[in-house]
Amino acid sequence: MIPADPSTVTPATDPSDTGRGTVADTGAPGPAGRTDAAARVGKRPSPFIVAAAVTVSLLGLLPLGYVVITGILTGWPTLSALVFRPRVGELLLNTIGLVLITVPLTAAIGVAAAWLVGRTSLPGRRVFAVLLATPLAVPAFVNSYGWVSAVPSLNGLWSGVLIATLSYFPLVYLPCAAALRRLDPTVEEAAESLGSSAWGVFFRVILPQLRLPILGGALLVGLHLLSEYGAFAMIRFDTFTTAIVEQYRSTFNGPAANALAGVLVLLCLFLLIGESGARGRSRYARVGSGVARVTPRRSLGALTPVGYLFLGGLFALAIGVPFWSVIRWLFQGGAAVWTEPVLVQALLQTVGYGLVGAVVTCLLAFPIAFLAVRYPSRLSRGLESVNYLTSSLPGIVTALALVTISIRFVQPLYQTTVLVIVTYLLMFLPRALVNLRAGLAQVPVGLEEAARSLGKPPFAAFLSVTTRFFAPSALAAGALVFLGIVTELTATLLLAPSGTRTLAIQFWSKVNDIDYVGAAPYALLMIVLSLPVTYLLFARSRLVSVS
Amino acid sequence: MSGVRVMSNVETAIELAGVSKSFGSTRILEDIALSVPQGSRTVVVGSSGSGKTTLLRLISGFELPDSGTITVFGRTVAGPGVAVAAHRRGIGFVAQDGALFPHLTVGQNIAFGLGPALRGGTRRQRARAVSELLEMVSLRPDFAERRPDELSGGQQQRVALARALARQPRVMLLDEPFSALDAGLRAATRDIVAETLERAGITTVLVTHDQAEAMSFAHQLAVLRDGNLCQVGPPREVYWRPVDLFTARFLGDAVVLPATISNGFAACALGTVAVAPTSLRGDACIMLRPEQIIVEHCETGGADAATATACTGQVEAVDFYGPEVQLAVRLFSGGPATPASPQSAGTLSPGTVSPGTVSPGTLSPGTLIHVRQHGTTGIVAGSRVSLTARGPATAFAARP
Amino acid sequence: MILTRRWTLLAALGTVTLLGATGCAASDASAPAPATEASTPSGSITVYNAQHEELTQAWADEFTAETGVTVTLRNGSDSELGNQLVQEGTASKADVFLTENSPAISLVDRAGLFAPVDKATLAQVPEQYRPSTGMWTGIAARSTVFAYNPSLLGEGELPASLLDLADPAWAGRWAASPSGADFQAIVSALLELEGEDATRDWLAAMKENAVVYKGNSTVMKAVNAGEIPAGVIYHYYWFGDQAGTGENSASTQMHYFKNQDPGAFVSVSGGGVLETSANPVAAQAFLAYITGKGGQEILKTGTSFEYPVSDSVDANPALVPLSELNAPVIDPSKLNSTKVTDLMTEAGFL
Repeated sequence: MIPADPSTVTPATDPSDTGRGTVADTGAPGPAGRTDAAARVGKRPSPFIVAAAVTVSLLGLLPLGYVVITGILTGWPTLSALVFRPRVGELLLNTIGLVLITVPLTAAIGVAAAWLVGRTSLPGRRVFAVLLATPLAVPAFVNSYGWVSAVPSLNGLWSGVLIATLSYFPLVYLPCAAALRRLDPTVEEAAESLGSSAWGVFFRVILPQLRLPILGGALLVGLHLLSEYGAFAMIRFDTFTTAIVEQYRSTFNGPAANALAGVLVLLCLFLLIGESGARGRSRYARVGSGVARVTPRRSLGALTPVGYLFLGGLFALAIGVPFWSVIRWLFQGGAAVWTEPVLVQALLQTVGYGLVGAVVTCLLAFPIAFLAVRYPSRLSRGLESVNYLTSSLPGIVTALALVTISIRFVQPLYQTTVLVIVTYLLMFLPRALVNLRAGLAQVPVGLEEAARSLGKPPFAAFLSVTTRFFAPSALAAGALVFLGIVTELTATLLLAPSGTRTLAIQFWSKVNDIDYVGAAPYALLMIVLSLPVTYLLFARSRLVSVS
Repeated sequence: MSGVRVMSNVETAIELAGVSKSFGSTRILEDIALSVPQGSRTVVVGSSGSGKTTLLRLISGFELPDSGTITVFGRTVAGPGVAVAAHRRGIGFVAQDGALFPHLTVGQNIAFGLGPALRGGTRRQRARAVSELLEMVSLRPDFAERRPDELSGGQQQRVALARALARQPRVMLLDEPFSALDAGLRAATRDIVAETLERAGITTVLVTHDQAEAMSFAHQLAVLRDGNLCQVGPPREVYWRPVDLFTARFLGDAVVLPATISNGFAACALGTVAVAPTSLRGDACIMLRPEQIIVEHCETGGADAATATACTGQVEAVDFYGPEVQLAVRLFSGGPATPASPQSAGTLSPGTVSPGTVSPGTLSPGTLIHVRQHGTTGIVAGSRVSLTARGPATAFAARP
Repeated sequence: MILTRRWTLLAALGTVTLLGATGCAASDASAPAPATEASTPSGSITVYNAQHEELTQAWADEFTAETGVTVTLRNGSDSELGNQLVQEGTASKADVFLTENSPAISLVDRAGLFAPVDKATLAQVPEQYRPSTGMWTGIAARSTVFAYNPSLLGEGELPASLLDLADPAWAGRWAASPSGADFQAIVSALLELEGEDATRDWLAAMKENAVVYKGNSTVMKAVNAGEIPAGVIYHYYWFGDQAGTGENSASTQMHYFKNQDPGAFVSVSGGGVLETSANPVAAQAFLAYITGKGGQEILKTGTSFEYPVSDSVDANPALVPLSELNAPVIDPSKLNSTKVTDLMTEAGFL
């Protein structure tokens, strides 16, 4: 199964397939590396670690279980009445239309952008390579806010497509750019010597080899489309997620909201299965010995202005417009908007949630990652899959499930920070998992064994050797979770303890009162908090693609 | 140094004239002139970094020369104001690792370059074309369904060749095509490729750093050193008559001795040896291939002046190499002083034993010579041996 | 199937309990007040607030300044928080519930979750603004209005009744925010006045005619921008914007339906104290403060532009006096939010 989560980037890597291009985990060491490590360890894992991994994964089954159980408890007559009605048809049409239009669009734009910065001699391509990753630092609902500020009449499907495309194309762009760097350039030359023109090489050789990163990125885009609330609510475009939130606003967790959630979950599963089917079993291993040669670059010649227009235009639309709006509102608000005491409170609370969530998520992801790398088995693969599946569910579904479960069964947890952190854990676990696993797989088991042969007990050996090696991956894992939490809106809105004000919540509350000026500082702070993480993401995707 | 033109009566397939190429401030190729006769196999051999791959990429069109012209069958493909794109040159290219398309099957790989007519043809037509091509490179037709990563290295190379052959190019470029293969596979694959190209009458340029491979594959051998072509010619000529010591040593083991030359004969530590070119006189050095030196076990030991001849010595070490051994022989000092008699040295060929003795003045006492010897000769360290050189040696004006 | 259910449930329970046991402290803002000192409020209270955040925050700040009681707000919408309270039942951490409209507070009342409001507090509010049960009280009021853009809609074309908007002539010419509690309150008035069938028909016609926005502010903004000729909103959005920059209302005007039309509905915002409140003294004191002179003055002088319900405080002079609006007479406790949500779900708005 595939990871996904609602707010921004998820490093998508199927546990069984590292060939997929991903954002943060482009080149996680292949299965071969893992098998080696496992073969050398060759013992049973500690029961404590297994118990921890199983517990976290079972927790991950809660939201899906909730949807299924409420569906059963609601009963078919009620359920069918709630599902088979014109409104659901409307939402289905909107949501599917959005996915069908936006996903190919983001794929085309992402691939084109990756090709332009990766395979042409366009001057300034290195700058663009970084710039085109920055939309990930702008939450989709902030992007939407920027656009609505600039063009107030935006609404409906095409506006949704516009904003979603501009927000999510980096999810395709980054893995494709990373994969392009890894492609064997001699293969492209071979095609040329076989009579293919530049276009022929692109369509017959490059594009087919980018299939996995494109599919992986497209899946992420699709899942984001299904789970995004704020961006579409702002432009009055109804999707399943916005409709569920509205139902929630009207009925708390009534059966209609749950029925919609059920359909939404089915859509998610459909995407997951579809992607996995399209991916097939092929892996496109690089056949040759991989003699490193300088990447062949093409001069665009007379088309150079077109290349600039595309890259520049893309950046201007995706980053320029929201930034311009935020700056404009900030300018209008002057110093006054910065003096609101809530601003500092929201900033601290957001950073606090982000840090605690990141640490907890990494700690709890570790046993699963450890099992997957050191003791690959059906169990460890199953545990991983559960977590990828859970994070594919929209945040609203997870939140709805946890509200209801906590209210009915574990009231001490209800409206507590713990529950919010648990929700973040479920939503963002794969971000940590993918990175931790990649990091662990890079640790030479031999070194650890050497430390043990020098008299260190296993745990001390692990600490002294392994942690050093995988610290960068752990940092990346934590940073990605942090990024997700900082820009999380829906689940926090539903679950946070009374009085909680995160940047996203405050921003949303201001926007709802059409206080665009007051919302601007919050938008800016969210972007500022996200930018370093986005850069980290970009840097890692390149690092991995080089090695 | 400019190349030597050979077989000028045959039509020239590829002609490079004054071709230079730099990457940044690094000069890769300098004023290259090379002529490749139609239907022949030319091998460009050079150590890594000599510029041989760049030379190939210039011909194929993946790079453009900074100056000079490249002509293929009379058509200028690169030169001042001309730059024919790689896909329009009609030149086949097989990369070092085959560069098969990982996303296509073997059959699809081969069919990739088939002309539009055939690509648009029926499935059966295509399948037949693919089968024929597989057969050409000695692979079974059922390989068509396999994925590239299911093939061995040699099979991948052959598929790459079949793929390039599909376009029926008149020129084929091979970039170190066998270097990634195991020793046994390498020879077999090389023979299949050579034979296939020969049959198809395709002009071939191969680059390699492996001199044995180069000599066995080439009709014409071109030695590249630091971006300059040192020597171009038939492999035998380049091997036996290298133009300089570098080329001599690059193509194989060489015994280089100081010598004094007169009348086509050199007086050296091994006695008097016929040399070429015969025009050289006075102090020089000569180069012998180890196989030109015959080693014989001398029964009588001792380095006393009475029994010592000009070319006896004592074995200091024996290195075992399977079919042959390498001996390190320390020559006894001294030797007869009579200069060589002039005796039609120009007509001597390898294997001729030169008469006469070596002037003692040219000897450095105790010269160490490495020679190779086939089979088991009973020679061990400490054995006393006599050495006989079979000329002619190649003489160089310079001292070693 | 049953087995699976039980397993999943068990797993759910097990894991959540485990986390709870190891987890850190719950947010426990509401320290219980000593029950013996019934007269002086102290400690802290949690308010489930569906009213405008700014208004309630102003009340809370003032109340804290006067009494020292800390007030924590949980902001949400009427129905969301109302339903949430019903689900939370006796386990709720809420002390006070404030709404924008009465249907949601009636919902909580009908679930029997409120403690009776102090007599003294009730005495501050005229009877028409509170239910006869005395389980909650009105705290403010707002009037339905028809905001229109005069450049797109002449005065002569204005509808006489909210019901007229069902006419096909109005197709695509009016806007509303049906997902909001405000509009749902208006529908609940319609339901109370005209009955279920008429309401269902009207909603079906509205589905055809109305352009749907999210939030009354957005509706007004769209009318102002000329995206749509008119919209059904509450009065105070207009006055609030006029008092500010006016950038979202400068090109709009207000039309009051009056004539006891459903469209002249005056919605009562409610406040109640939860039976399970851990700090009932402070909670009652808060409600007393809001409905008292101090709290009601904030309605008059602040930026909320809602109507005070207390006799002792006049409305903001900028507003049309409540008495002139000729609103239909409706017992606020009879407004039914659940039925309205069902009808609107049926009509396809939710």
